[in-house]
Amino acid sequence: MKLIRKIMNHIVDEMWKLRRILFNFAITDLKIKYRNSILGILWSIIEPLLLLGVLFFVFSTMFKIEIPNFPIYLLTGIITWNFFKNGTSLALNSLSNRSPILTQIYFPRSFPAISSTITASILLITELVVLGIFMVILGFIPPNTIILLIPIFLLGFLLILGISLPLSVLNVKYKDAEFIWTVVLSAGFFLTPIFYRFDMLPEHVQSILQFSPMVQLVTMTQHVVLYGTLPSTNSILYAIGTTSVILIIGYLIFRKLQLRIVEEM
Amino acid sequence: MSDNVIKVTNISKKFRLYHEKRTTFFEALSGILDRKQYFEDLHVLNEISFELKKGEALGILGRNGSGKTTLLRILSKIYKPDSGSVEINGTLVPLLALGLGFHPELTAIANIYQSSILLGFDKKEISTHVDAIIKFAELEKFADTKIKNFSQGMLMRLAFSTAVQVNPDILLLDEVVAVGDMNFQKKCFATIQDFKKRGKSIVLVSHSINDIESVCDRAIFLNKGNMVKIGPTKEVVSEYQNFMKSQK
Repeated sequence: MKLIRKIMNHIVDEMWKLRRILFNFAITDLKIKYRNSILGILWSIIEPLLLLGVLFFVFSTMFKIEIPNFPIYLLTGIITWNFFKNGTSLALNSLSNRSPILTQIYFPRSFPAISSTITASILLITELVVLGIFMVILGFIPPNTIILLIPIFLLGFLLILGISLPLSVLNVKYKDAEFIWTVVLSAGFFLTPIFYRFDMLPEHVQSILQFSPMVQLVTMTQHVVLYGTLPSTNSILYAIGTTSVILIIGYLIFRKLQLRIVEEM
Repeated sequence: MSDNVIKVTNISKKFRLYHEKRTTFFEALSGILDRKQYFEDLHVLNEISFELKKGEALGILGRNGSGKTTLLRILSKIYKPDSGSVEINGTLVPLLALGLGFHPELTAIANIYQSSILLGFDKKEISTHVDAIIKFAELEKFADTKIKNFSQGMLMRLAFSTAVQVNPDILLLDEVVAVGDMNFQKKCFATIQDFKKRGKSIVLVSHSINDIESVCDRAIFLNKGNMVKIGPTKEVVSEYQNFMKSQK
């Protein structure tokens, strides 16, 4: 617990002291992500909608999965997953892309990973707006529990940070990190209940996948957005537990590797 | 309260010189089985100590690979020394290689903001300087151009004028002045002299003995990471010249 508090204090302190740099980096990330594209940031809206279209077509007409409010169900899962995918993939190259800056000016090595997590949060907000518009079109009135998305996404923020910090330094040292992470992400997409319900899985698979924080986060968002029920205590405990473990291990790896990272560039 | 702006005590730095660099997980794993050492330590700096006073300019002389740039990188916190301590009082701007942490995909103005914010200056304060920076760098036409399209000379001008206009207490210069054309070089030296007069401190790395003699009050002669001599510029320069002659 003491270690978690120390890590949290460290992160919050740094973020506040150097919020201008973080914000500046986050904006730069966005500008660079959408450079030379005509539609620019609109892509962050179009991309999940296209995915929604494909998944909806495949799973409602070809596989006949019966889930009430299926489009909203899908979109909620896609948005939560995209938050995770965007955050970690932006973090992957956030440090190595800045190698010229790092060899010329000093700034804390945690910044690129923190700022890419902020960038992913900005993208998350634009996608949530899309979800809102979708609800209006479909005449879906969300339950009050939707407000609980805030603490759920805050937990998601910490989870992304816990993976982004070590990933950003590992990718400088070992280029394999990028390839491995791409595989993890595509496997994760199918192992997370985005286009199916978690309870459709066989029991023994459930007992393994419950340790995936993303399974818990996606299940929790579906609970509060669609069913108007509170997430189960089990879900909450597993989500907080796995996120803390990842954050601690990630931070320790980061702390050890960051010392000599500029010399590796 | 001393008037030292930089106090360096016994810093040492060694690098790992990799003979076959392990950059993939697989290579790292096979390295666990095959324990022969695949790198050797290269001592880049050994027990360096010096002080820099307010309003003083210090030159650093040495052959290629003598540790000059590493020393500047340690002063600017980019590298961490293996041992010893560095104390800095005041704002420090390092001008190493070409650039100030510029990003090629951003415009000149966006880069001025990003660099100065990274260096710890206030955004509002910078906005009052942006025009002066662009004007000094003679880049009025290119203020909104992405700097990936800039020439080396343009980059250097932008970096130098940003570094001096944000008005730091200490300026670290690494061979930068050599890139500009003659007129711009003159302008740079005039600025550096003026900078000194205003009580600011400078550390200058250069292979040009003229530059060192015209700017610096004291100098350091580095050879293979060891501090051979520190003292008034004239004495250090003549020792350096003798050394270079003996090496021929």
